[in-house]
Amino acid sequence: MSNSSAVSSRTQPPSWPELPLAISSKPVLPAIIALGPAIPAVLNRASQSLQIVNPGPLTNSSGRPQFTKCRSPELETFSCYWTDGVHHGFGSPGAVQLFYIRRNTQEWTQEWKECPDYVSAGENSCYFNASYTSIWVPYCIKLTNNGGTVDQKCFSVEEIVQPDPPTGLNWTLLNTSLTGIHADIQVRWEPPSNADVQKGWIVLEYELQYKEINETQWKMMDPVLSTSVPVYSLRLDKEYEVRVRCRQRNSEKYGEFSEVLYVTLPQMSPVPCEEDFRFPWFLIIIFGMFGLTVIFLFVFSKQQRIKMLLLPPVPVPKIKGIDPDLFKEGKLEEVNTILAIHDNYKPEFYNDDSWVEFIELDIDDPDEKTEGSDTDRLLSHDHQKLLNILGAKDDDSGRTSCYDPDILEADFQASDVGDGTSEVAQPQRLKGEADLLCLDMKNQNNPPGRDAPPAAGEPGVILAEESKARPLPLSETESAPHAAHAPLHSPSPLANIDFYAQVSDITPAGSVVLSPGQRNKAGIPQCDAHPEVASLCQPNFITDSAYFCEADAKKCIPVAPHVEVAARGEPSFNQEDIYITTESLTTTAPRAGTAGPAPGSAMPVPDYTSIHIVQSPQGLVLNATALPRPDKEFLSSCGYVSTDQLNNIMP
Amino acid sequence: MDNKGLSLTGGPYWLVLVLVSSLLLCKNVASVPTCPRGAVNCEVPLGELFDRAVVLSDYLHKLSSEMFREFNKQYAQERRFITRAINGCHTSSIPTPEDKEQAQNMPHEDLLNLILRVLRSWNEPLYHLVTEVRAMREASDTQKALGTQETFAMQEALSTQEALTTQEALTTQEALSMQEALRTQGTPNDILSRAIEIEDRNKQLLEGMEKIINQVQHGVRRNEAPSPWLGLQFLQKADEDTRLFALYGLIHCLRRDSHKIDNYLKVLKCRIIYDSNC
Repeated sequence: MSNSSAVSSRTQPPSWPELPLAISSKPVLPAIIALGPAIPAVLNRASQSLQIVNPGPLTNSSGRPQFTKCRSPELETFSCYWTDGVHHGFGSPGAVQLFYIRRNTQEWTQEWKECPDYVSAGENSCYFNASYTSIWVPYCIKLTNNGGTVDQKCFSVEEIVQPDPPTGLNWTLLNTSLTGIHADIQVRWEPPSNADVQKGWIVLEYELQYKEINETQWKMMDPVLSTSVPVYSLRLDKEYEVRVRCRQRNSEKYGEFSEVLYVTLPQMSPVPCEEDFRFPWFLIIIFGMFGLTVIFLFVFSKQQRIKMLLLPPVPVPKIKGIDPDLFKEGKLEEVNTILAIHDNYKPEFYNDDSWVEFIELDIDDPDEKTEGSDTDRLLSHDHQKLLNILGAKDDDSGRTSCYDPDILEADFQASDVGDGTSEVAQPQRLKGEADLLCLDMKNQNNPPGRDAPPAAGEPGVILAEESKARPLPLSETESAPHAAHAPLHSPSPLANIDFYAQVSDITPAGSVVLSPGQRNKAGIPQCDAHPEVASLCQPNFITDSAYFCEADAKKCIPVAPHVEVAARGEPSFNQEDIYITTESLTTTAPRAGTAGPAPGSAMPVPDYTSIHIVQSPQGLVLNATALPRPDKEFLSSCGYVSTDQLNNIMP
Repeated sequence: MDNKGLSLTGGPYWLVLVLVSSLLLCKNVASVPTCPRGAVNCEVPLGELFDRAVVLSDYLHKLSSEMFREFNKQYAQERRFITRAINGCHTSSIPTPEDKEQAQNMPHEDLLNLILRVLRSWNEPLYHLVTEVRAMREASDTQKALGTQETFAMQEALSTQEALTTQEALTTQEALSMQEALRTQGTPNDILSRAIEIEDRNKQLLEGMEKIINQVQHGVRRNEAPSPWLGLQFLQKADEDTRLFALYGLIHCLRRDSHKIDNYLKVLKCRIIYDSNC
């Protein structure tokens, strides 16, 4: 017909019965085998005319009748719908027919059958009742208009299931929140009446949607299999709409929505609570102003206390148990006391830093010298006093130390004992003291106490950590006044010239042997009365040099050092209690001889020298300072250069 | 639901392991009605077996649908394999009820045996499906530079399978909860993984069905031959179009048959256990 030729813009597909017939010729084999490679070719042509089952909305642009959809609501019947094409005046509008064919087991039925019911499903529809419906069976339908096929479709019934909407929606109140603002409800419904769920023929899953009445967006819940779901957290003062739809299990297409259920929750609280979150501007302003006021008050306040409270100062380093103010105020005695109490701190006194700190020029501080030199204290026997005496501000002014070979002798003799027994030490100390005192301008402020010799571990060379620290007076205290005291009362300047003296030796008894300093020059003549020592040592050697070298010391005390060393048990360092030069004795010895005649400047020994090793607490090992030696004359026996000599050397 | 916690990868598999072992070994686990140790003639309650079977069949159908959907999306879009109507399934030779009435009129044992027969018929095709899909994925992997779509489709098909395995051998309650968990968790989105999963689940469902039949028929067994599948040659054709078409047909048939079995089992469950009052 002209209609069909004009309408059908596509190639006519092969008539359907032909294909199935070809297949049916070999009923045993599956169709796919029977057709073999011919299938793709056939299908390629056929596919163009076939429509996907229930595709998207069709545009009836061509004016032909087209299938809109086929649908089975309960997996027992199905219906197909089509649009009535707009006939552009060609032919009569009627005569649209639907034919179907279905595959039985392995065969297609021979011919197309016409729709059994054009009426029940409405206009332009075809309704297949249960007797005509077979599930899991491929169907093909075609729409003809005046004999010409206008549309075709193939499907299986289980693929086109779209259930009717659920019925009988109702809700019940589950509970309300304590605040009376929210409530939970349970929504129930019935499955569509035509769906045989009871026999398990069809399984449905439901989707509930709800929203507030004045909202536009529906809230969706997850699909459920049961016919009731709880809806949580609905507001009591709002009205809600609820609707449910269902679909076959494991299908994609939902059915239509049910009727909307209106949920009006009872008003529980007479006074509706304003739950709207209003930004608490008022509170923010109040607290902000308060805070700012406080801040400004404190920051700009003159009150130090408040400022301290608000902006505490950075903590200063602190030693446990010691008030840092002590350091500031220079109360070294107290600090030392505290430190001495804690044995832990004792070793600190023997580190190099303290010594280095201790060694400083006292030229600029004549005042301090009047307060008494530490050397006095070092030589005093007063242990307690020694411990307490740290600073120059102490009352033991006027003490001096005596740089006398006697001291060495005394100490060495004391060391011979090996331990500091008072009996042995005392006479020696006495002697030493006498020797010391001969050069000493000891004040009587610190009466020497015949204290017990300190333990070997407490030579008393305790250094304060302050820069002004001076060596504590050793255990060797000032002996009781003797006749030696008489010469003690020498002019104080003598005693006070040297604030800092090097400790040349520390006896095992704990007494310290100071190296002769500048005061030697003044005080030496007095000590010349001690011939026993003087005879042993070269007076020149002693007079000018502030320090002993081990060579010189050996001359003075030929025996003792070795024993002393033996007692120490450290042969590597001879006479470790005295300063030990890095130079060998041999080298120093001849020099000592050559340097002997030089008066006043024979033995240049530096006042300050670096410490090589601290044999805590027994002694120190000093480094031989590397000084320029332009003149051999100025070479000390030990390589030390005194300041005078240094000044001579370097103009 | 707190079942969502089970959706973690470890939970379901562990649970399945425990329950499968309990089912197979007839251990006396409190939550699972099983045989006491050492009992010879103990039987898991039929209702329990049906619950588990229904869960499995439902899961199988879900995976098959997803696999088909993904395959369609990835492979059939351009090729337009809209030939379902022509395509016959190899299980069509087995006379199965085609509507509710027929299904209701068929006796339990017949229907059960039919189910068993259909399941058995799918053993071989599923095996080849997995092989073929795996080969296709490997082939597509090597063609990644060419930007083939197959890899994605295969992956999607595979993922459905994995979700199936976890539903096996569970009690009703647990089965349902597992269902929920499986639905919420990400099912494997890979055609290959889905195919593997379906194959495994199919075997398990088969075992469950045999157990059910043993109980219903009291040991009387009918060894009915499964329907043969002859589509292997098409799956192994060199022509990609032919292969894809064959695969398409196979997956389509799988979806249909899984729906059929699922439906039958649910009908049987409602009939036998709940006396037609689900």
